[in-house]
Amino acid sequence: MTVGVGDALPELVKHPTTQQLVRYAGAQGDFYEIHYDQAYAISVGLPGVILHGLLKAGFLGQLVTDWLGDRGTLKRFEVSYRGIDQPGRPYACRGRVTKVDGDQVELEVWGEDSAGNRTTVGTATVEMKG
Amino acid sequence: MTTTTSVIDRLRARIGQAGPSTEAMVEAGHLKRFVEAIGDPNPRWTKEAPPTFLVALSPAAYHLEEAEEYGKGWLNGGNRFEYLEPVKVGDRITATSRVADVYEKTGSSGNLLFIIFETGYVNQDGRTVAKLRGTAIRR
Repeated sequence: MTVGVGDALPELVKHPTTQQLVRYAGAQGDFYEIHYDQAYAISVGLPGVILHGLLKAGFLGQLVTDWLGDRGTLKRFEVSYRGIDQPGRPYACRGRVTKVDGDQVELEVWGEDSAGNRTTVGTATVEMKG
Repeated sequence: MTTTTSVIDRLRARIGQAGPSTEAMVEAGHLKRFVEAIGDPNPRWTKEAPPTFLVALSPAAYHLEEAEEYGKGWLNGGNRFEYLEPVKVGDRITATSRVADVYEKTGSSGNLLFIIFETGYVNQDGRTVAKLRGTAIRR
């Protein structure tokens, strides 16, 4: 299968719940209270508990590896967290191919909240098998 | 203001400083819990680590107590992973983080303190498998 500039990655929609945040907190070992303690999150100025940035990065990593399969290797993956996201709202992960240079492919990926804001944006470099 | 200024000075003095190294084994059960938490059912992850797993193996930053004198809380600004070798079940990974940069920025909702950490992950054969650059923000 040939990869071309502008190709869209198949969309991945997540439905994060507070239970998922607790599971992720345990699995990563990140017990910062803003991810599971509503009163604490509000006390530091947040609207309530929020998703871990790295959980959103995990979603985007899944978007990339689902698309890539065994056709190549992920070499670089970069994400910036631009906004907060709360559980109970769908989170859509999308991406597209931005550059193809021989076997090196650049991707743009992002996660959107239900209002269409790109709260996480990132890029990835993959090396396709020859 | 003198208090926050001195916090930044004390943190800037740590630039280049490495935290304690941590060593961890990549365990199948841990990988399973991690990918279940993300909701990624790819069978590949029964043997191999998915892209962000390294942060679960050892913290991507080391604790800087004085940073907590600044602002009310932490935010994660971003993460950049570079992958050099696959990470597989049974690998023993040693991670070492160092402070790469510390700076303050004025944002729309007030001042923010940025701490950039760089972490190297080395396997049991002494080969660097991945590098991570992370941006921790105090707000």
